[in-house]
Amino acid sequence: MNYPVWDVAFGAGLLIAIVAITHVFVSHFAIGGGLFLVLTEKKAYREDDASLLDWLKRHTKFFVLVTVVFGAISGVGIWFTIGLIHPSGTSALIHAYVWGWAIEWIFFFLEITAALLYLYGWNKLDRKTHLWLGWIYFIAAYLSMVVINGILAFMLTPGKWLETQNFWQGFFNPTYFPSLLLRTTFAFALAGVYALITGTLQKDLELKGKIVKWSVKWIIPAFIIIPIFAWWYIGNIPDVVWESARGKMPTATQYANSILIFSALTFLFSLLTLIKPKKVPFALSVLIFLLAFGTMGSFEFIREAIRKPYIIYDYMYANSIYKDQFPGDGGMSIQNIQQKGLLPVAKWAESKEITSENQMAAGMEIFRIQCQSCHTIDGYRGIRKVLVEKKWSQTAISRRISSLENMFNAVMPPFAGTDEERETLAAYLTTLAPVAPEDVEVTDIDISGEVVFEANCADCHEYAASDTMFVSMGKYDFSEVSYLITRLDSLSEEMPPFEGSDAEREALARWIPVQFK
Amino acid sequence: MGTEIIIPAIDPMPLPAPFWLFKVLLVLTFILHIVVMNFMFGGGLIAVWTRFFGQKNDKDQRLFKDIVPKIPSLLAATVTLGIAPLLFVQVLYGQFLYTSSIIMAWPWFLVLVLLVLAYYGFYIVSFNKDKKSRSIGWLMLISVFFIFLVGFFYSNNFTLMNTPSSWAAKYFHDPSGWNLNLSETTLIPRFLHFLVASIAIGSFLLIIIGLFRWKREQDYARFLIVRGGKWFMYATMVQFLVGIWFLISLPRELMLQFMGGNMLGTVSLLISILGGLASIFVMSNGIRNEDPRKPAIWAMGITGIVVVFMAIMRDILRTAYLSPYFKSSDLVVKTQLDVLILFLVLFVIGIAVWVLMIKKYFFTPSARAAD
Ligand code: HEC
Ligand code: HEC
Repeated sequence: MNYPVWDVAFGAGLLIAIVAITHVFVSHFAIGGGLFLVLTEKKAYREDDASLLDWLKRHTKFFVLVTVVFGAISGVGIWFTIGLIHPSGTSALIHAYVWGWAIEWIFFFLEITAALLYLYGWNKLDRKTHLWLGWIYFIAAYLSMVVINGILAFMLTPGKWLETQNFWQGFFNPTYFPSLLLRTTFAFALAGVYALITGTLQKDLELKGKIVKWSVKWIIPAFIIIPIFAWWYIGNIPDVVWESARGKMPTATQYANSILIFSALTFLFSLLTLIKPKKVPFALSVLIFLLAFGTMGSFEFIREAIRKPYIIYDYMYANSIYKDQFPGDGGMSIQNIQQKGLLPVAKWAESKEITSENQMAAGMEIFRIQCQSCHTIDGYRGIRKVLVEKKWSQTAISRRISSLENMFNAVMPPFAGTDEERETLAAYLTTLAPVAPEDVEVTDIDISGEVVFEANCADCHEYAASDTMFVSMGKYDFSEVSYLITRLDSLSEEMPPFEGSDAEREALARWIPVQFK
Repeated sequence: MGTEIIIPAIDPMPLPAPFWLFKVLLVLTFILHIVVMNFMFGGGLIAVWTRFFGQKNDKDQRLFKDIVPKIPSLLAATVTLGIAPLLFVQVLYGQFLYTSSIIMAWPWFLVLVLLVLAYYGFYIVSFNKDKKSRSIGWLMLISVFFIFLVGFFYSNNFTLMNTPSSWAAKYFHDPSGWNLNLSETTLIPRFLHFLVASIAIGSFLLIIIGLFRWKREQDYARFLIVRGGKWFMYATMVQFLVGIWFLISLPRELMLQFMGGNMLGTVSLLISILGGLASIFVMSNGIRNEDPRKPAIWAMGITGIVVVFMAIMRDILRTAYLSPYFKSSDLVVKTQLDVLILFLVLFVIGIAVWVLMIKKYFFTPSARAAD
């Protein structure tokens, strides 16, 4: 809208996900690992265990190489990346929270300095000073999360900020504390997960067993507590938003299922190491590492998915369009664009008006400006695949576009543009997967109504007695419903025409009236 | 199309503090960042040069060995200190910087990849025990080259950001982000200006190591200071040529800012020229002394002042470039006083803790020797 759109063929969203998830997996380790270092150092002194201390020195090096290098650069990396992909959202976050970022920077500075001095201090400092540096490290690292967490949680649940634009109300938003505790617990678990990696490489079996047992003590309790905080976290997300992950949005639901599997497996395999701690192979620690990575990754994916269609909830959509009109919005609100048109309002549209020559180029630009923050043509959330599979006609596509906000629990913003622009976009999308007439004629005798419903209606209608579709069609019998299905596009402006075969229509018409009876 | 000038609208959210405060913080943190960057990059360049073209004597070998372990921490400091000015420049000039970054998105994104690779390269070199093997020299060279590219991409972006008139053509020609700003006439002199400055200021790394070693091994310390001083002098002499090239490559009205058009700009340029000459003079006399420490410190001090004025000039130049498109008076300010105060308080505490850490680290007697 306000900024040019970076055209990333494989998917801008995927690029953010890669940078963000790898960063998060390291930065949480940077926090939990800090406490792990000091507590393990104390343990080694207390038990007067020179070999544990020796390992810890090497583990510190590993820790610094992972967190100070990769962690710090990928953290800057997220910032670079969202600035490239969501410039308006980034700008909003920076304007609202510049002092938050600045405070975080102070802690970051202390954290990096302390980490390096702690590493180099192993052979130079007395025990007390060295431990003191370790504590400073951990506290600074933790405080930097205390700050960042506010801004991250704000994006999903901005709470009262929407009315007041007050820094603190946005910062201490409804999911702030559950999210902070959830992250804290996970950070401690990760300390153990990473320690297993260097720990299982030890040749000295006594030492190895000791490290494994000690590391797992960080994982197991954390994974017992995590579900409690997760439950609290979910409880603070508005129910309608959370429904996305409960079936209404296929991908978010997938991530929600995968987090259960990944975390359960992380927990189980960690328990498994306790059977023979001295014998734990390196490969097992790598497996646990990957499973924990899957857990963290799924969490971030869920958070990103259920926040859709917004980048800042109820304020700005992921495609940089404002939800509501307000002074200073530069005309980039849904209402204004629906009135004036996308191409005239978008600053970075090359085709300012649609002519018969530039129709395809204009359609492509509309897609780039409005859909590409979440979709691609052939990559991540690729649109061609869907079109090839569903074989929609141009009319069907166009109707779906005017009904985007009704699909999948409203994870898409409503289409912003004029009717002409919508038709142009539909015409362009039609060219991605040309439909040959004979393709549409698939007949099958044993067609199940449910399958037809899933394929044609479930994007927008829910299988529930209260859904308008069942309410309104439940009153009629087979022949009436069958007729109504041929006229869907005149029943509601926002509904695509039914494009299945006659046999499918009949199966559906037989199925609908008998549900919920 | 492609000839129009498109400027994104200013973010509708108010600035959470007055313009001048962000400006001061921006220039101040930029100075810190650039100096440390110069130490890291210039020091790295000098180390690589010495490794490949230095003599095979002990001292040149040692010089390499002494510099390279400092580079990773200097890179950490460079990145950390770079975050602050990047934050403040986004608050003030986001509509320009986001746009130019998107136009050259892939090179800008690659900065991160290059940084990670260079970083690990530096660490491998620094953790290597005797640092004699051939591959160590090459690894250092490649890592320094990556930093060179990072700097080059930065110069591209920060020149592109200043010239909105070139945006539309570039973006619509290739929206996938594979652009640079090579058509910009000031790009090469500007980048060279930073490169040569890195060598001049990077030489201080040698001098500072020399100063710390003076008590223990005067001979080697003197070698370091003299060698650093020479790098400094020659680089600064070259800088006069590069600086003039940069100045005359600027569009005329902008060049004239520094020749009477803008008072502060003109004075800054004069001070910088005089400072540059003075520091060369002091250094060249100093390194002939048996004890070059005092003059070397003086030369560094003068250069420090020059850097401050250079940073001011850089800001004046940006303001002049953007003046047709941006007025600070267009910004709405609504100060978040409570958060600002919290920041300042934490900032002071942060500095205190930082100083305490450094003090404890460097000035507690090494008790671990016996450990
Ligand atoms: C905020 C992000 C976002 C934006 C912007 C967006 N979409 Fe979507 N869209 C999604 C998500 C998420 C899904 C799939 C939900 C899932 O599978 O979990 C989807 C699914 C779809 C589908 C597939 C429907 C199906 O039956 O599988 C179509 C078609 C589609 N979008 C078209 C568009 C068009 C056209 C635009 C631009 C006008 C657009 N979307 C903008 C997020 C977005
Ligand atoms: C692209 C989204 C979309 C799809 C796909 C879709 N609908 Fe709808 N449908 C809507 C919307 C929006 C409404 C209006 C909802 C409302 O009024 O609450 C609606 C309303 C209806 C109604 C009630 C009409 C009335 O006013 O009484 C029926 C019946 C219906 N749909 C049947 C179907 C059937 C059958 C299918 C599958 C063949 C289908 N719809 C597919 C979006 C869709």
